[in-house]
Amino acid sequence: MTAEPLYRVRDLRKSYRVGEVTTSALSGVDLDVAAGEFTAVAGPSGSGKSTLLHLMGVLDHGDAGEVWLRGERIDRLPRGAAARLRLARIGFVFQAYNLIPVLSALENAAFVLELRGEDRAAREAKARDALARLDMAAYADRRPNQLSGGQRQRVAIARAIAADPAIVLADEPTANLDSRAGADLIDLMRRLNEEEDVTFVFSTHDPRLLDRVDRIVRLEDGRVVDDGTDATDAPASQATP
Amino acid sequence: MPLVIALAWRNLWRQRRRSLVTAGAVGLVVLLSVAYFALGGAAENGLYQTLTERGGHVIVTAPGADDATRFEATLVEDADAAIATVRREADATLAAPLVLPTLDVPALLSGERRSRGVAIHGQPWPDPARERRLDDATLEGRFLEGDDEIVLGAALARALDVAIGDEVVAYAPGGAGYGVAAYALVGTVDLADPGAEIAAAWTTLAATQQLAAPGAVQRIEVHGTSLRRIADDDVSAALAATLGVALPDLRVEDWRTANPSTQQLLNALDPLLFAVSVLFFVLAGLLMLNTVYLSVMERIHEFGVLHALGAGDRRVLAMVATESVLLAVVGAAVGTAGGLAFVAAYADGFRIPGLASYYASFGLDPVFYLSVDPGQVAFAVGFAVLTAVLAAAWPATIAARIEPVEAMRFQA
Repeated sequence: MTAEPLYRVRDLRKSYRVGEVTTSALSGVDLDVAAGEFTAVAGPSGSGKSTLLHLMGVLDHGDAGEVWLRGERIDRLPRGAAARLRLARIGFVFQAYNLIPVLSALENAAFVLELRGEDRAAREAKARDALARLDMAAYADRRPNQLSGGQRQRVAIARAIAADPAIVLADEPTANLDSRAGADLIDLMRRLNEEEDVTFVFSTHDPRLLDRVDRIVRLEDGRVVDDGTDATDAPASQATP
Repeated sequence: MPLVIALAWRNLWRQRRRSLVTAGAVGLVVLLSVAYFALGGAAENGLYQTLTERGGHVIVTAPGADDATRFEATLVEDADAAIATVRREADATLAAPLVLPTLDVPALLSGERRSRGVAIHGQPWPDPARERRLDDATLEGRFLEGDDEIVLGAALARALDVAIGDEVVAYAPGGAGYGVAAYALVGTVDLADPGAEIAAAWTTLAATQQLAAPGAVQRIEVHGTSLRRIADDDVSAALAATLGVALPDLRVEDWRTANPSTQQLLNALDPLLFAVSVLFFVLAGLLMLNTVYLSVMERIHEFGVLHALGAGDRRVLAMVATESVLLAVVGAAVGTAGGLAFVAAYADGFRIPGLASYYASFGLDPVFYLSVDPGQVAFAVGFAVLTAVLAAAWPATIAARIEPVEAMRFQA
């Protein structure tokens, strides 16, 4: 008997309409994600990576298809329930960091815990711990504008993992970083995955990062064109330098 | 400090100039409201002073005092006992009370060649309030020193064609007194009110009693000479109630019941003051709405992130409202402090430059006493906060209802 996957996505479809033009972002995506996986969703710009992560994170509704999280169907949740689900189970990391500029690194890392209503001592302890796990303890009191891009993204990851979510969905987390900082960040995420069993699904269009993941889901024109582990079996069209 | 409050405070500080201007506007409105209420209170207190100085805080009269056709019906006969009772109760209730029995006698006043009908006002002197109008500028001659003397309004003296030193004869037939008396005119008073000046004839209580009603008075006025503000006057009604029991055959009223039209005016003033104050707050609310709306629009992306992280609609709504309320609370605190400082600075009263002698010529106290009660301050602060909440409602709803993905695409 096969264990229930953490995520199950079935025939997920989403299109956007701009004026008279309708663009299909996802055209029937099927995907299972097991707990503890470290998965990259790869593909060129416009392939549907961000849309897939948004729908998995119930940030948006698809046109058709299903998304299940731990056996619960989540793709049709009303607005309030979707917010509660995100708060309770899903950590997010965004391409543009999206830290709250007026809060310190520690306060940013503690923010989701504050939303959950945890008391000050508990949320501070958890946020400090999360920052320490990302080697950011020394920067706890700094505001985002006092941090480098890589450091900001680490704080964003600390914010995502501080609340101990079921999964962290990271949308192009390295896109705004140079290659070295990007590789370091993926290594850090990988370490959290291996040592602390944090489940990551992240999107990227940078093929140099793909040799660090367990599994690569390749998207093209809104469809999964490959779902495997070998970074070298990318379609020719994806082999960008 | 809770993180949400810290977040709201720092967000306000991000746009400090705009926040300061808005908080300053709220503060100014609260300050103006407190000062406005205080000035309104000063006007009410001025009305109160005028009324009570002219008529007393508590007035004891005969039951038929309003019957203008029968002089006898207006009299409190054998008034000494009643006056003693009033004096005793007033001493027990008020600090430094002035008890003034008065008797106004309708009489024909005649000079050598002319006559005129007036009411001769008799009372014990001195009376600081009524004598306030008597100074070098208004009084020619001197004031009363004996029961055979009279002071007239200058217009009345001219009408009678009499001058200081002349004899003036009063005829008041039909009463229990002599019915006729001759007085020496010792002074004339130049009053600002021509109507009052042509009717002013003052002598002593003993003189009017001898003329028309020995041992009787028409009014026993109790003046609380230390009372300056309506808010401080919680004793007039109590004293009137006590005297009402002690003098069951007489009519006892406090200044409010004796002047129902003034009471109605005072009742109408408060809503008027509040209504104008509300207009101030509407203007402040529009400024605040502009500030909060701009602040929300500039941070649409951030609100999208908050939603994405799991903040519910009500949470985001509360965040925006918290910013607005913080802004209002800071402004209101500063405004209240400024307003109360203004009131405190003039706690001992103030004179309007140039108007003092004009007021005095009407016998009015030219000193205004500011008065603001805690309820009015609470109204100003509470309305500032309510305005902030209302001003935040629309922008906060926008922030609360945005779709996270769309908002995060919006890059400020």
